[in-house]
Amino acid sequence: MKILKEDAQSVGNILLEIGALLMSSGASTNRTRLTMERTAKGLGYGIELLITQRALMLTIIEKDQQHFFSRLKRISPHGVNFRIVSGISHLSWNVMEQNWTVTQISEELQRLKTLPHYPRLVVLGTVGLAGSAFCNIFGGGSIEMVVAFIATVAGLFVRQEAIKKKFNPYLCVFFASLAASLIAGLAEHYHIGLQPDKAFATSVLFLVPGVPLINSVTDLMDGNIQNGIVRAMNGLMIAFSIAMGLFAVKMILNF
Amino acid sequence: MILLDIITKSIWAGIAAIGFAILFNVPRRTIFAIWGMGAIGGLIKFSAIHFELGIVFGSFLGATIIGIISIQMAHLRKSPPLVFSIPSVIPMVPGFFAYKMMLGLIALTAIENTDAYLQTLIETVNNGAKMMFILISLGTGVAIPMLLSRKESIKKSKFNKGKKVVV
Repeated sequence: MKILKEDAQSVGNILLEIGALLMSSGASTNRTRLTMERTAKGLGYGIELLITQRALMLTIIEKDQQHFFSRLKRISPHGVNFRIVSGISHLSWNVMEQNWTVTQISEELQRLKTLPHYPRLVVLGTVGLAGSAFCNIFGGGSIEMVVAFIATVAGLFVRQEAIKKKFNPYLCVFFASLAASLIAGLAEHYHIGLQPDKAFATSVLFLVPGVPLINSVTDLMDGNIQNGIVRAMNGLMIAFSIAMGLFAVKMILNF
Repeated sequence: MILLDIITKSIWAGIAAIGFAILFNVPRRTIFAIWGMGAIGGLIKFSAIHFELGIVFGSFLGATIIGIISIQMAHLRKSPPLVFSIPSVIPMVPGFFAYKMMLGLIALTAIENTDAYLQTLIETVNNGAKMMFILISLGTGVAIPMLLSRKESIKKSKFNKGKKVVV
């Protein structure tokens, strides 16, 4: 049995922070639970957890069974960030194997939170290339690929700006879908390229809710049915917002 | 000629995977691996479609191979497997079918003619079913190595035996 160096309260707070960061960065429910349990075990505590999509509930029981600490924490959605998922995975093993203290953990969490994203131009460029890659996969020619590139870059730019202005997340997706498909739709309208419909169909694929949908299946397989259903519903709402953007553009161009 | 077509498409699938990887802010050391895994997944899926195994089974095979490689890569590049597997399978996510289904549902609200209604309904159900089954096959395919090894963490799995782990 390990000697407890930290009090239950600070351990509880740091565990909740780890869990909230993991859930908002795109880890599955099972991974969040395992990482929190592993970290707690490394610090010498046993925990009981309730994980939902928007809140975490944690109870720490000290080994003497006399004292316990309970707290709820809200999870604020930030968008997928795998650098944090990767960093926290290393962190939890460090706690387990090198007996990190709570101070060390909170310093590492601060460092992970300030890790830089890729430069905006790089993100726009590579996601644009991904858009033209989709166009190629669905059988578009080089002109359609250029159209898909421009449409994707414009759509992502609009989405980033909308997120900065703190619009509703589904509305951000709608705006992005509208911008991307409007550009591809105009190309179709003026008959640019041989198969302009391919560019129209693939210009919005960068918005596809891949992480919510795949995590939803993962959660369902792990038995976290509730979280799985919530994630699937979220994914369907995003798909619906994309479809509304496309629908709006079709209405505008047929007018 | 068909082989060349499949290979070109796979390379582009890898590029699509990189696009999502950058969007999800993966660690820099993992990017090349994600490109390779996206391309391998695409290669398997397009070959399966070419040999008429169907898009659902093709996606399942591709995702399974990606899941197995992601565990090896997790050791080589020191990141959890999902960092590799999610961006690599996202080019296979049936976004096309998802929004075809959504457009179909929206169209169903406006159609008066019975024949046209039935036609749209058939297409919508078909697209929706494809989407659901491809998604389920992607999710299970990626999870298969973990399900088979029955371990809670890849650091304990037997893929890891005899390898020195430095975190």
